[in-house]
Amino acid sequence: MKTLVIGLGNPILGDDGVGWHVADEIAKYTADSPNVEVDCVSLGGLSLMERLTGSNRVILIDAIFTGRKPNGTVRQISLEDLPDLTSGHSASVHDTSLRNALSIGRSMDIPLPEDKDIIVVAIETENVYDFSQELSPAVAAAVPQTVKVVMDLLDG
Amino acid sequence: MQRITIDPITRLEGHGKIEIFLNEEGNVANTYFQIPELRGFERFCVGRPVEEMPLLTNRICGVCPEAHHMAAAKAVDAVYHVEVPPTGKKLRELLYMAFYATDHTTHFYALGGPDFIMGPDAPVAERNILGVIHKVGLEIGGKVIQMRKYGHTVVEIIGGRKVHPCTSIPGGLTKGITEEQRVEIEKMGRWAIEFAQFSLKAFNDIVLSNKTYLDLIVGDIYTHKTYYMGLVDANNKVNFYDGKVRVVGPDGKEYVKYEPKDYAANIAEHVEPWTYLKFPYLKNVGWKGFVDGPDSGVYMATPLSRLNTSDGMATPLAQAEYEKFYATLGGKPVHQRLAIHWARLIELLYAAEHWVELATDPEITSPNFHAIPTATPTEGVGIVEAPRGTLTHHYWTDERGVVTKVNLIVGTTNNYAPITMSIKKAADSLIKKGNVNEGLLNMVEMAFRAYDPCFGCATHSLPGQMPLEIIVRNPDGEPLEVLKQFCE
Repeated sequence: MKTLVIGLGNPILGDDGVGWHVADEIAKYTADSPNVEVDCVSLGGLSLMERLTGSNRVILIDAIFTGRKPNGTVRQISLEDLPDLTSGHSASVHDTSLRNALSIGRSMDIPLPEDKDIIVVAIETENVYDFSQELSPAVAAAVPQTVKVVMDLLDG
Repeated sequence: MQRITIDPITRLEGHGKIEIFLNEEGNVANTYFQIPELRGFERFCVGRPVEEMPLLTNRICGVCPEAHHMAAAKAVDAVYHVEVPPTGKKLRELLYMAFYATDHTTHFYALGGPDFIMGPDAPVAERNILGVIHKVGLEIGGKVIQMRKYGHTVVEIIGGRKVHPCTSIPGGLTKGITEEQRVEIEKMGRWAIEFAQFSLKAFNDIVLSNKTYLDLIVGDIYTHKTYYMGLVDANNKVNFYDGKVRVVGPDGKEYVKYEPKDYAANIAEHVEPWTYLKFPYLKNVGWKGFVDGPDSGVYMATPLSRLNTSDGMATPLAQAEYEKFYATLGGKPVHQRLAIHWARLIELLYAAEHWVELATDPEITSPNFHAIPTATPTEGVGIVEAPRGTLTHHYWTDERGVVTKVNLIVGTTNNYAPITMSIKKAADSLIKKGNVNEGLLNMVEMAFRAYDPCFGCATHSLPGQMPLEIIVRNPDGEPLEVLKQFCE
């Protein structure tokens, strides 16, 4: 099964860019793998859904800020594990949530992976308000572990 | 004093925080709307070649990278004192029209649509784009997705990349388009015109034909009589990419019209102790606080502002809609903030029409899309209309073109004072003698949603909602009631 690996985030906003750092490493390891495609994007909602079109399986690597885990904590979560906040007032300020966007896409018969085939690998971060191309030490130290988590998913 | 806080609990989308303070009578004493500011952008830019700015600044914001790319490109042209050849300018503008059509579509159907098509009193579970699709019909979802696809495709053809274009350089663009690409772009533009007309018809049938919705638009709760700002062309018609900045007063008459390079003589920024973000205002009118009227330097920069500041639209179909807009709402200027949603659709039609005009321009496939800069770089200002308001980039460099200083006034910042005022007015009408109307959250949301503000300029969002929490506190600060939205 072909897998799309996406590093999400803003590459110039400190720890927010950690997904790109991980994806860059994955790209090196998988350069000869025809069943793995790697990309780095700064997208959400509808745009992210559109990027997933035609994929069977997706691994999203992203910074997360919950304030409940130490910086650099790596977690593998499914789309269903994200808080189910899709119904309510406005979705986001400018767009809609990825889950909502996926529902819209599926109702339009757009070929999209099933929720169970969208895996989120999240790295707990804190410094996401200061412009920088550098990761904070704890988050930078988490990159190799995150790469291993993603590679294990690809090998599995 | 009672205190109400509308507070997010995570950073996922970038967040706003609203605090409402009540007086001893239980009525609203004041409201504070805080937007977190991303820090250190100037420090990040200083020391870099200025031609990198169109690539760097389009990463500031995940919502309108194309707008930052264009403002930066124009500022860099000015830094190098180079005039972009006609084809280069037209290609940039063509890209920008496709971006506008995409952005305005998304905002209307994902955000404004739920307010009006589902109605402000609809169950919360239905007040989203899925509810809109369910009500209007499955076909509309397909059209929205198609419109976005076409918009992204044009941005990619001209800009080299979807969403984050990378082809603007000092003096123009790195590449032009072929005749084959032009034909494809024209075809998509013609479809976009039909889509924009369809959207305006849906707005007419569902919103304008419904007295309750129309009353909500023209009612007092979301009305402020302020100054308005927007770019206009030589004929004072709305222009997104180029022209002079025109400001009209609450009476609709021109107050000032200036070249982008003169923005600092006209705009100053007010500082409040409770927020890091500054409040731009009309320097020569002065800051008088968060108040309406001709003596207050507060101005608004939105789709409605652009219509108010102009003498019309430069394309025929949009012009007809412009005339209907003012005929329906009682003439110029329109002060009702919820009319921003309607103005946005008129701009969508203009963007689509101008898209086709540019795609059929005989010069558009010419190789004359770049002029090599020869002058010594110094400083320069670039202004475009971002979908959310006038966007100003100002760069200073040394003689090598290395950045020494940066100043930006972004779209939402222009509207910080008016948004704050709209939130207070909504809260005023819904909190009486300590009784908090249960519609508070939605009505406050509607107040700022019309402006389509960029809160944190976060570039992505998982899960993608804006968490809000309202805490009603007694005079001792103890919570009496907690209302949550998108909170775990």
